[in-house]
Amino acid sequence: MVKLTLDIVTNPLAAFGRYSRLLFHAFGAMPELSTYRKNLWEQMVRIGVDSLPIVMLAAGFSGAVTTVQTSYQLVTPLIPRSIIGAIVVPSMILELGAVVTGFILAGRVGARIAAELGTMRVTEQIDALESMGLNSIGYLIVPRVLAGIVMFPVLYVAACFVGIGGGILIGDLGGFVPAEEFVDGAREFFQPFDPIFGIIKSLVFGFLITSISCFKGYYTRGGAEGVGRATTQAAVASCVFLLLADLVLAATLL
Amino acid sequence: MKFSNEIKVGLTIIVATLIFILGIRYFEDLPLFDSTYDLVAEFDDAAGLIGGNIVRVNGVAVGSVNDVYISETTGKVMVEFHVNPNIPVTEGSFATIAGFDALGVVRLDLTLGPASAARIPEGGTVAAGTGSDLMADLTAQAPEMLDSVGEAVGQLNDVLAEANTMLATPESDFRQTLNAAKGSMQQIEQLLASERDRIASILANADSISADLNAALGEDGQSVQDLMSQMEETLATLNEDLEAFQETNEQINTLLTKLNEGEGTLGMLINDPSMYHRMDSTLSGLNDLIADFQANPGRYLKEMKLVDLF
Repeated sequence: MVKLTLDIVTNPLAAFGRYSRLLFHAFGAMPELSTYRKNLWEQMVRIGVDSLPIVMLAAGFSGAVTTVQTSYQLVTPLIPRSIIGAIVVPSMILELGAVVTGFILAGRVGARIAAELGTMRVTEQIDALESMGLNSIGYLIVPRVLAGIVMFPVLYVAACFVGIGGGILIGDLGGFVPAEEFVDGAREFFQPFDPIFGIIKSLVFGFLITSISCFKGYYTRGGAEGVGRATTQAAVASCVFLLLADLVLAATLL
Repeated sequence: MKFSNEIKVGLTIIVATLIFILGIRYFEDLPLFDSTYDLVAEFDDAAGLIGGNIVRVNGVAVGSVNDVYISETTGKVMVEFHVNPNIPVTEGSFATIAGFDALGVVRLDLTLGPASAARIPEGGTVAAGTGSDLMADLTAQAPEMLDSVGEAVGQLNDVLAEANTMLATPESDFRQTLNAAKGSMQQIEQLLASERDRIASILANADSISADLNAALGEDGQSVQDLMSQMEETLATLNEDLEAFQETNEQINTLLTKLNEGEGTLGMLINDPSMYHRMDSTLSGLNDLIADFQANPGRYLKEMKLVDLF
């Protein structure tokens, strides 16, 4: 009983310790990056460019839905309709753009990284790399984490662009708010720091999703079943820590 | 055609960076590619103005506020803003903070100076105007308004208190009037009570009279009817007589008309004065003759031997 309670406390601590050690090694492998440059480009395309369509689709719909629902809730004639733009644009830039993209990447990219690395681990390919004298962390993890950090802001910008565009489009076509009023309202309350904050968020999210997924995949144990478990855990843990980081960032920076 | 990974990644990053920068400029209401025209204004009170609020000239949005901060040296509120470079912000222009603070929609209204004056240089200071702000005006007038409302309520209170005392003191006119009315009502009541029997008998008499009348009408109904028919006959005869009379009257009327118009002998006699004149002259001649005869009878009686005998 006592051991079980201790495990609940010590296991997460141990996991965090291993995670930190992995990151430490990864930063230590940074000078070798030029050796794995080709690998970096490959990961950037897989994590970033290939994710663009699904991210834009999700963001476009969330922007459109936010516009429709905001106009549905604004029934008072006292409030100008331009407020819809003033609500949709900041919520897209501050929250939805980064978080929607983050959830999609946690599922799409996080699961794939964990599955790849987990399979390599259980089929002893990582051990083979090590025995060939290659730094497995530098070769496998650093390019993925870097690609996440670099490409997530790009996806965030695409999400905001398409999301706000979808909001303007559906507001204008659906007769909720004319495009000019939407933009006027957005400009009235626009804070230049908002998109900067969004970029900071997306950098953090990109780092969290890729590093957590790499960690889960790199330390996979127990064959095919272990790979499946690692994949699920990578997606779930990425989402949980993404939300935590979202709250911490909002509380500290806003 | 297959692109290499480097090209794909590079292109995506460049496009995203462009969208990011242009998007921020777009929502900051900055021209997408032109440079901007930055200006500064000094205020005592920012009234809730923040970065991003719109700058308007004559109600047209021409730029936005970059930053609002308190100057460390003067302690005044410094408002940095930019406008469209085409706007001629000349010397003599001034800026005012306007709008509703409660709704969070504050703006900077820029009133342009004369077009002939020199333009304020980039980064120059625009004078702060004291414009009329609806909310500020209301706020300023609020104490006065409250005072007058308080006064009115006080007066109302006085009136009510007076009415109250009037009702409470038995000597007041109001109370006396009420008492008098009450007394009158009581007297009427007493009268009604005491004369109840008489009133009842009067009503009974009236009742019996109307009953008698009814009975008389019922019994002598036939004779009344006869009387009525006879009366009717008489009236008919009278009517005929009147008609005959009317006829006679009309005839007399025509006769009189004829007489008046001088028709017939009688008419001429009445209307023609010539006969009178002739008669008059004849009579006057006769008069002369008689006078002459009396004076000189001999002249006429020369031949009358019989008269000569006297």
